[in-house]
Amino acid sequence: MSRSDSLVENSFDGYRRPDGRVAVRNRILVLPSVICSHLVAEEIAEQSPRAVATPHDHGCAQLGADNEQTEQTFLGTAANPNIAGTVVVGLGCEHVQSDEVAAAIDERGLPVRELSIQGVGGTGPCIKEGSAAATELARNADSTRAAPASIDDLTVGVVVGDLDDSTIEHADPLVAELVDRVVAAGGSAVVAGNERFAAHPDAVRQRSAPATLDDIDAMLERHEGLPSRANAVGRAAASADADATLGALGTNPIQDVLSYGEQAPHDSGLAVVDAPSRFEEAATALAAAGAHIVVHVTAEGVPAGHPIVPVLKISGDVETLEALPADIDINAREASADDLERALLAVAGGQETCTESHGLSEFAITRIGPSM
Amino acid sequence: MVSTFNGYRRADGRVGIRNHVAVIPTSVAASSIARGASEIGAWAKPTPHQMGTSQPAEAREQTERVLVGIGQNPNVGAALIVELGTEESDAGELADRIAETGKAVETLSIRDAGGTRPAVERAREVLEDLNEEASLARREDADASELIFAAECGGSDATSGIASNPAVGNASDRLIEDGGTASFSETPEFIGAEHILAERCVDDELRERLLERVAQREEMADMMGVDLRGAQPTPGNQEGGLTTIEEKSLGAIAKGGTTPVEGMVEYAERLPTGGGLVLMDTPGYDVESVVGKVAGGAQVVAFTTGRGSTTGNPIAPVIKVAGNPKTWEKMSNNMDVNASTIIDGDSVEEVGGRLYDTLLSVADGQHTEAEKRGLEEFAVNEVQPKQIAGSGVGR
Amino acid sequence: MKGIVIDGVGLKLTTEDNVATALDDLEAGRSIDAEGLDIELLEDISFGHKFALEALAEGDEVYKYGEVIARTTKPVEPGAWVHTHNAESTRGRGDLAGVEQ
Repeated sequence: MSRSDSLVENSFDGYRRPDGRVAVRNRILVLPSVICSHLVAEEIAEQSPRAVATPHDHGCAQLGADNEQTEQTFLGTAANPNIAGTVVVGLGCEHVQSDEVAAAIDERGLPVRELSIQGVGGTGPCIKEGSAAATELARNADSTRAAPASIDDLTVGVVVGDLDDSTIEHADPLVAELVDRVVAAGGSAVVAGNERFAAHPDAVRQRSAPATLDDIDAMLERHEGLPSRANAVGRAAASADADATLGALGTNPIQDVLSYGEQAPHDSGLAVVDAPSRFEEAATALAAAGAHIVVHVTAEGVPAGHPIVPVLKISGDVETLEALPADIDINAREASADDLERALLAVAGGQETCTESHGLSEFAITRIGPSM
Repeated sequence: MVSTFNGYRRADGRVGIRNHVAVIPTSVAASSIARGASEIGAWAKPTPHQMGTSQPAEAREQTERVLVGIGQNPNVGAALIVELGTEESDAGELADRIAETGKAVETLSIRDAGGTRPAVERAREVLEDLNEEASLARREDADASELIFAAECGGSDATSGIASNPAVGNASDRLIEDGGTASFSETPEFIGAEHILAERCVDDELRERLLERVAQREEMADMMGVDLRGAQPTPGNQEGGLTTIEEKSLGAIAKGGTTPVEGMVEYAERLPTGGGLVLMDTPGYDVESVVGKVAGGAQVVAFTTGRGSTTGNPIAPVIKVAGNPKTWEKMSNNMDVNASTIIDGDSVEEVGGRLYDTLLSVADGQHTEAEKRGLEEFAVNEVQPKQIAGSGVGR
Repeated sequence: MKGIVIDGVGLKLTTEDNVATALDDLEAGRSIDAEGLDIELLEDISFGHKFALEALAEGDEVYKYGEVIARTTKPVEPGAWVHTHNAESTRGRGDLAGVEQ
C-alpha cells in the first residue's frame, strides 16, 4: 500500500513541544510512584487544569524485574509526547522512590516536579502542594504552540485484544490497512498483544526483519510454558490460524521488539510490544512506547479509555456494536480504511473519542512475578 | 467487665460496624463505571481493581474469593455487582454467594444496560434502592467477642517493633481475652521470626503449614533469581534503621501479641468469629494484605507505621498507629493513635489499652482519619502465571 | 517499653543482644555507659538505627530481640553503626540460589 492509495487529507492540527516533538493532546501527568499515593495523585489531578492521574497497584514489595519494569513504564509514560509536564507523587518509604523517578525524567529534559506525602507532612498538604505544582506546569503547557502536523509525525498504537471471527474477518484487516498506511507515509506503528505472538512463534519470525530475530526469540522465550494473563485470548490464539492471528500487523516487517514500558527508538516502521492484550496494560505499554493514539481492536467492547492517549475503539462484533453503541468509535463492518484514517486524523486534531467524552479511564502496569 | 459496642447485626449473625453499599466490579473492564456510579454518595463504596476479564483459573478463583468476601463482610449492608458482561466470572454467581448472608444484592451488566452512560445511570438508580433498604438497619448492642480485628504494618521503621507493633499486640491480646478474633498476615514478614510463631502454634499440623508457607514466600526470591533485599526491607524501612528482613519480621510479629496461634487461612478466606489469634497467608504488600483480611471478614483494621503510611480501605475502617514521634508530629492529620509515647516511657499495656478503647469507639461509629479523608485504597493480590507454571509458590 | 534502656539514649531489647537501638539522634564521640561498660560512638547514629555494644568479627551473628537479625560482612568495632554497609540478611537470597549448589 502506498501513500497514493489514500484519499484522505493527511494533515491535522497538533501541538509542537519545545524539543520539536508533535503531540495530539496537551496534558499534565500526575504520576504516583506507588499504590499508597494513588488516591492523592487522583485528587491532585482532579483539582488541576489539564491534569490526568495514572493510578496503579505497583511501586513497592516487588522483586527484581518487576521493579525495573515499573520504573521503565513510569519514564516512558512521562516521556509520552502528549504530556507537557509531570508531577511525581510518592509516599516516601516505597521501593520506587519518587525523587529518583523525577530525576530520571528531568535528565531527559522534560518538565517535572516531585513531592511525597511523608516529605510534606501528610495527604492534605500533599494535595495542596501537588496541585500548585501541576497548575504551574499547566501554565507552561498553555503556551505550547498549536502546529500543523501530518500522519508521518504519528506513532499509532494498536491493541490486538480479543480474537474471534469478528476481529479476524472485520476489525484486524481494517487496522492492518491503517498500519500499512501510517508506515508507508513515514509514521510508525506499535502493536501490543503478546498472546498471539506466543501462540505462533514461526509466523512471527517470518514477519520479522532479519536483524530483529534475536529479540523476537527472546520475547517468545519469556512466555514459553506460561499461561496467558489474558487467558481467553491465549486459548483462542492457540487454536486459530497463524495468519489470521497476526492479521492486524499489516504487511511491513517487524523492525523492533519493545520490552514492556520501553520507548520506541524508531520514528518510522512497525514494532511489536511485549505486553499482554489486557486493554489497560497494553495501552499503558503503547503510551510508554510513545504512541500518540491507541486503536483498540475489541470484540468484548471493554469501555475504558486511557489517561495518556486518546483511544479509538474498533469492533466488528454485531452484539457488541448493538449493546455498546456509544462506546465503540468504529464499526469495522461498515467503515472503510479511508473512514478509519479520517477518524484517526480527526482525533489527532482534537476530536474527542467515545472514552474521552465519558471521562473514564484505566491505567495498569503488567506484572512478571508476584507481590512480596 | 466484657467490652461492648453498637453494631449492625446481619441476617447471618455477624455484626457490622459500618453500613456501606459496596459497588463491586467483576473485572477491570467494569472498574471505572463502578467508580463513576459511586460518586452518588459517600455511602456507596466502590472496590475498583485491575483483574482482567479472563484470568487463568487459579488467579480467577482467588479474585472471586476476594470479591465475594468483600460483599459478605458484615460492614456491607447491601451490594451491587457490576460486570461488562463478557467476564469468565459471572456476576450472578458472585451475587448468589454474597446473598447467602441474607443481604440485598443486585447485579448490573454494562452490555445489557447499553453502554457506559446508561450503565452509570442505571447503577445509580439501583444503588439508591439498595441504600434505602440498607438504611433500615439500626445499631444494636454487640459484644467485643463478635469482632474480627486485623493487624497490619506498613512503612515500618525501628520504632514499629519497639512501640506500635507491641501496642497493637497488646490490643489483640485484650480482644482475644474478650473472646474475639485477631488476625495478622504478611507471610514474607515472618521470615526470620517463623520459629517463634511456630512454637506458638496449637498443633503440629498448623506448625508445619506455617513453616511451609514461609518457605514458599522465600522461594519467590529464587524464582525471580534475585536477592529478597530487592524488596525487603524497603528503602524507607532501611532509612528508618531496619537492616534486614529478619529484623523487620521480629518487630512485625509483635502485632500478634502473646496468645497461641489457633489457625492459618488462605488469602481472603473466611476468618472465624471468636477464633483467637488466626494468621492469614498474604503478601507483605500492605494494600493487598489489608484487602485479603477484610475479604476474610475483618470489620476493623489497626495499621502500624513508623514512616507514615496513609492508606485506608473502602469497607473496613483503618486505625493508623504511629510508632515514630516525628511521624506523629508531622503527619498527625493522617494518624489516629500515638504509640510513640512508649519510647518516652509509657508502658505497652497503657498504650495497648488506649488503642483497644479507640478500636471499640471506631466499632461504635467514630470515624478514623483515613475515613474522614476518603482514603480507600483497594487492590487484589493476583496469582501470576509464573507461580502457576512453577512449583505452586504462593498459592 | 520492653528491654533495657542504656544511659537514657539506647535500647537493648534482651540481655543477649550485641547491638542497641538509638532512642535519639546521637552524635559521634558521645560516650555511653552501657551497663558499666564505657562505649564511645564512632559515628553519628540516627534515631532508630543500631550501634554495636561489643567488637564483632566478620561473619559474626548480630543479635537483637535475642534473635539473629544479620551476619556482619566486615569487622565491627564497639560504638560503630551497624547497618546494611557492614551487616546483611541470611534469608531470601535468590541471588545465591545458583551459587550454593
